[in-house]
Amino acid sequence: MRLLGLACILGGWAIAVAGLFMTTATTGRIFIACAGIAVTLYGILGMLNGYYLERAIWKK
Amino acid sequence: MKRGWGVTLLLTVLGCLAMFGPSTLGQAGEIQATDTVLSGVPTPKTEDIAAKGDPGAELYGTANDITLADSKKGLTVADLANQVGQNKIAINFVWTLVCGFLVMFMQAGFAIVETGLIRAKNANHTMMMNFMVYGLGLFAYWVCGFAIQMGGSAPIANLGGVYPLNQEFVLNLFGKPWPLFGMKGFFLSGATYDIGVLVLFLFQMVFMDTTTTIVTGSCAERWKYSAFCISTILLGALIYPLFGNWAWGCGWLSQLGVNFGLGHGYADFAGSGVVHAVGGLTGLAVAMQIGPRIGKYNRDGSPNVIPGHDLSYVLLGCFILAFGWFGFNPGSTLGASGNGCLRIGSIAVNTMLAGCTGSFAALLYMWIRYGKPDASMAGNGLLAGLVAITAPSGFVNTLSAAIIGWVAGILVCLGVEFFDRVAKVDDPVGAISVHGLNGLWGVLSVGLFADGRSNYGGSWNGVPGSVTGLFYGDAGQLAAQLIGIATLVGIVFSLSFVGNWIVDIIVGQRVGAKVELAGLDIPEMGALCYPDFQLKAGDFGGASAGVAVPSLAK
Repeated sequence: MRLLGLACILGGWAIAVAGLFMTTATTGRIFIACAGIAVTLYGILGMLNGYYLERAIWKK
Repeated sequence: MKRGWGVTLLLTVLGCLAMFGPSTLGQAGEIQATDTVLSGVPTPKTEDIAAKGDPGAELYGTANDITLADSKKGLTVADLANQVGQNKIAINFVWTLVCGFLVMFMQAGFAIVETGLIRAKNANHTMMMNFMVYGLGLFAYWVCGFAIQMGGSAPIANLGGVYPLNQEFVLNLFGKPWPLFGMKGFFLSGATYDIGVLVLFLFQMVFMDTTTTIVTGSCAERWKYSAFCISTILLGALIYPLFGNWAWGCGWLSQLGVNFGLGHGYADFAGSGVVHAVGGLTGLAVAMQIGPRIGKYNRDGSPNVIPGHDLSYVLLGCFILAFGWFGFNPGSTLGASGNGCLRIGSIAVNTMLAGCTGSFAALLYMWIRYGKPDASMAGNGLLAGLVAITAPSGFVNTLSAAIIGWVAGILVCLGVEFFDRVAKVDDPVGAISVHGLNGLWGVLSVGLFADGRSNYGGSWNGVPGSVTGLFYGDAGQLAAQLIGIATLVGIVFSLSFVGNWIVDIIVGQRVGAKVELAGLDIPEMGALCYPDFQLKAGDFGGASAGVAVPSLAK
């Protein structure tokens, strides 16, 4: 799960950077960068943090 | 009298310029003629000074004080030009060094803010983490961090060029150059034993130290000291310098303008992203891994307030930090003379304003939402405003600075609530919200509020003109800032997470439950911070405000 989370985070960054090549339109690049950031945040707060919350010390 | 000598000298030089004209001044024969005139500049007699002294400060600071290449020839144009150059570099060296000293003093502010916000039984441990980030971070940065970050950053005109820092590793990918890390300056050896490089090293080192000290706050009260040491070295030697290179060392983010036409490339004037977001995101990565303190959450997941032990420490520390920030932001011009450096006045006022509106907004938010003007959150609001204005401080006007700080003050309150209640990441001092969240907001705000009026030598990151945000007509700058944010949350977070995961496997990140309940001072450090006091181990109650909002106790 942690590796999947990391893959999601890095994938989000890759999306943002790929936007530089996918279009030359500034609006398009902004939109793709925002999408990449959203994917990255999901990886951090949804997947990685979710993994640690499932095993949280206060649940034991 | 002193003014009289100065005016005489000035008039003489201006007379020379008028006589010979700027177009012909560079010719050797006419310089000789000018030298002749300069040699006749009246100066106070040294015998007079020897006999009477100069109690009125009227006789020092004249042509007498200009260093002569050849005393037999007297004062020449070359002497005058060299003295002007020397004065410019001296002004910039002194400015950068003094600002660096101010930033170094911020360590004291961080130390007492964090110590005040944690329980007394962990005070020695927290103080010692803040103390040793200085030594550990400095060592790591001297060995390789500085070289990775700034090894290819030359020329920096304000510091005389720093020409030895001239080698960058560049990867050519997809038809574009991707500068990734510097390769000169390891151990500050070889040609980098250079006065300009050393001034730059000192200034950059204290910035790196600020980053490392942010993490100690988010992980306080349960972080194993040995793990902290390794993690700090990792951050100072590798993670911080890498992103620092990409943003400030002529790396690929700074070249987004040149290579992809995105505004002026990623612009981060004093480090909302480079310093604060890197620290805050690393703090998030480690805090997630080591988990919350025992007693922070109940079995149903509801959070408890764990109040700090000294609110006066917290607010005093905030003031020290606000003072140090006047070195952080205005000092990032790397000079007070040349290339738009006179904007230091604007930068200082922006810094002051954003901190002010940040604390005001946080105070109002807490007062309206919880019925009391929470002191620790007012302090965090001040810091949030300062963090947010760090990146845009050199590019925005005062109204924008006030708005940026105001938003930051609200954001920090929302962030603390989110991480406490929703994400359930235990952050005893609110460092993730103050530095991580508002660091990212600061980076974004450059792309929105930069007014296109700044001029630092006619270009920024190799793109002519001034940094201009979306609200002033350049959407490309916003795109560059968003790529920077994606890199912070994508690459920097991942590097920090993996690095600290490895540390966890090797030495373990978290202390044992017994150690945590007893307090870390004796088991980890061997001494109590307050040996004459009776400490209450495991006491989560108390009347003073912690960083957690009051209603979280319900």
